[in-house]
Amino acid sequence: MFKYIFKRVLMLVPVLIGVTFIVFSMLYITPGDPARMVLGEQAPQESVDELRQEMGLNDPFFVQFGRYVYKAVVHGDIGRSYITKRPVVQEIWAAFPVTLKLSAMAMIIAMIVGIPCGIVSAIKQYSLFDNVVTVFAMIGISMPVFWLGILLILLFSVRLGWVPPSGFDSVSTMILPALTLGAQSVAIITRMTRSSMLEVIRQDYIRTVRAKGQRERVVIWKHALGNALIPVITISGIQFGILLGGAVLTELIFSIPGVGRLMVESIKMRDFPVVQGGVLFIAVAFCVVNLLVDLVYAWLDPRIKAQYVS
Amino acid sequence: MKAKGIKLCAAFCAAALSAGLLAGNPAIAREKKDPDTLTVANVYDAKTLDPFGTNDVASSGAMLHIYNRLVKLNDKDEVVGDLAEKIEQVDDLTYRFYLRKGVKFHNGEELKASDVVFSLKRSLAPSSGAVKHIVGAIDPDSIVALDDYTVEVKTLFPFAAFLPSMTHMGGGAILNEKAVTEAGDNYGMNPVGTGPFKLVEWNRGDKMVMERFEDYFGEKPAYKTLIIRAIPEGTNRTIELESGNVDIAYQITTNDVSRVEANKELKLLRLIDNSTTYLGFNCEKAPFDDVRVRQAITMALPTPQIIKAVLRGVGAPAVGPIAPNVKYANPDLKPMAYDVDKAKALLAEAGYPDGFKASIWTNDKKARIDIATIAQNQLKKIGVEVDIQVLEWGAYLEGLTQKKHDMFIVGWTCQTPDPDMAVFAPFHSSMKGNNNFTFYGDDEVDALLEKGRVTPDGPERQQVYYDIQDALRERGPWVFLYNDEQIIGTQDYVKGFTVSPFGFHDLSKVTFDGK
Repeated sequence: MFKYIFKRVLMLVPVLIGVTFIVFSMLYITPGDPARMVLGEQAPQESVDELRQEMGLNDPFFVQFGRYVYKAVVHGDIGRSYITKRPVVQEIWAAFPVTLKLSAMAMIIAMIVGIPCGIVSAIKQYSLFDNVVTVFAMIGISMPVFWLGILLILLFSVRLGWVPPSGFDSVSTMILPALTLGAQSVAIITRMTRSSMLEVIRQDYIRTVRAKGQRERVVIWKHALGNALIPVITISGIQFGILLGGAVLTELIFSIPGVGRLMVESIKMRDFPVVQGGVLFIAVAFCVVNLLVDLVYAWLDPRIKAQYVS
Repeated sequence: MKAKGIKLCAAFCAAALSAGLLAGNPAIAREKKDPDTLTVANVYDAKTLDPFGTNDVASSGAMLHIYNRLVKLNDKDEVVGDLAEKIEQVDDLTYRFYLRKGVKFHNGEELKASDVVFSLKRSLAPSSGAVKHIVGAIDPDSIVALDDYTVEVKTLFPFAAFLPSMTHMGGGAILNEKAVTEAGDNYGMNPVGTGPFKLVEWNRGDKMVMERFEDYFGEKPAYKTLIIRAIPEGTNRTIELESGNVDIAYQITTNDVSRVEANKELKLLRLIDNSTTYLGFNCEKAPFDDVRVRQAITMALPTPQIIKAVLRGVGAPAVGPIAPNVKYANPDLKPMAYDVDKAKALLAEAGYPDGFKASIWTNDKKARIDIATIAQNQLKKIGVEVDIQVLEWGAYLEGLTQKKHDMFIVGWTCQTPDPDMAVFAPFHSSMKGNNNFTFYGDDEVDALLEKGRVTPDGPERQQVYYDIQDALRERGPWVFLYNDEQIIGTQDYVKGFTVSPFGFHDLSKVTFDGK
């Protein structure tokens, strides 16, 4: 098992190098001069030129890239924000807990709502409930986040006045963003649970259990559910990773100071070190989440574990 | 049983939803929950609180409460002392500032002449490029402390706009030498000034919390805590204001103006600001190097109608390059009349009887795109085929600097009360590619601009700026589009708040009515 974890952690290295290179080169070719963005459009050209030199922006691409990787690997230093002059790590670390909280809430909502709905849908296939859930899931998947967010604000903040429309410092302010962000995941998890459950309850061993006269409740909860949830766990993990990196729109709509908003602002201001660091960070978070998912997976499904334990 | 439960649940949800949508705005009892706190909704968060590191409106708005300058503007827009008790102009070039005694910085240090010298020198350093265009007239070698409370400064040339430019929030700010040196790169997050508030917490992208500085030398604010929140969504700012969560909301969007106006618990304040949005030509590129072509395009655009349609009652059509609240703006300047036939004739005269193809650049600001779209239609009438390109701000600026554009729509804000700032940078030939994105420059305008800087205030200086405005209107490097407007919503109980045409506002004088 440790060997497996070790291997997975080792695999992070090429992923990070790849991500770094791609992001670095994309930022390099993006039009817009970071020095100009720092100083503002009214700054004289001499100052901009001087700052470019100071920032090392005049060096060839590979020199800049090499310097970045060297500093990151040897000193663990991924630079300072051009704008605030704070270390990038600090900038991201300040925004990350917010995004994590938001994504986690969205994920919890998605799982609490999605898994039971999916199970019931599967058991009562083609019933009214199943049809209603299917329709809602379709809506959930196809509704754009910003639209849903604005609708929720209109209903719950403007009309009903139940929750504030922005901010992120109390549970009441977090509900709408979490719902908005979680809507798609609810839909995906519901669909996934439903189809996985359907597949499992048609298996031979379920028929055997039933044939032995086991009560339906035991058949579903004890024999079917565990196996049906395995792919759901995988998809939930991937979803969580996506939420962590993709909370951008939700954060913008609800004015939440998370990583997504930090990235958008930084891209606008050509604050390259923060963008670069943010992408790396999201990549790492994604990989870590996936690793955890795989571990849970192995724990749930002895067949998978067997592949690594031998 | 189960089906019944589901049905019940569905019915309940439907009822709740429709009740919610049909119900009007609930009457929220409006009382100031906490009379010791002022909460303001701004659009953006500050970039940094190092005054020389940025020149954006949000940062200036925050710094205004943390720092003081040597001089400031009073209610009548006259320059008066702030940290300087007395200002003496020794000769054409030399100014002497006598500092107030006993002024404390937030870290407990007393303000000394050495801090002023340090601040002025730092504002001229290369890394302070963001404000260099404001303070650039100071001779860096001339800044000396005569004693602990007297500072002498010389300008490089006799500069009439020197004192007004020192009122600039960023460029004129006085910092504590020790605090800056100690904080190093972290200074932008840990500002130390002499202002009425000190920073206690800054949650980037979310809110900034400031506390009243009890040792402030001036009139202390009536409340204890100032919170400035960043809420980029316009509708959200209005909703927060309506629900009483914020006391003041900046930049109410056009859609929400009537909602705020209709609400008896709220007030709406409006003021035309110092920005001028214009359609500029690349005057070094054919066919725009021909003044007749520029005039033809100006004449072919019914600008006031376009502005009315696009801005729906917000802002005002601009008549000249100097915004109306800036000194020596000529309110009687006659815009070029809308005349398609004359425009066609001018184009033919310039050698383009069938018109030509060109592009208009704009950034993603909606009003600008709308204006470009209408202009595109209008210009068809004189045979000019326009292609609109919407660029992201960074790319836009870079393209402008590199002279890749034909026509472009952008704004220019006069950040000091002096007209020099409004016209020198965008029109003097020495500023080409820097702030002069039209690459316009002729000797006559250059001479006038230079004269305007050195002429002391008075009727003569006014005439110079009137001549400049006439000349620019005639030679048409810009089609003047509009002056933007500050639209601010406040709770009814907010008193003592005045809107500034610079776009950032002094909150230290605010009081709460009856609370």
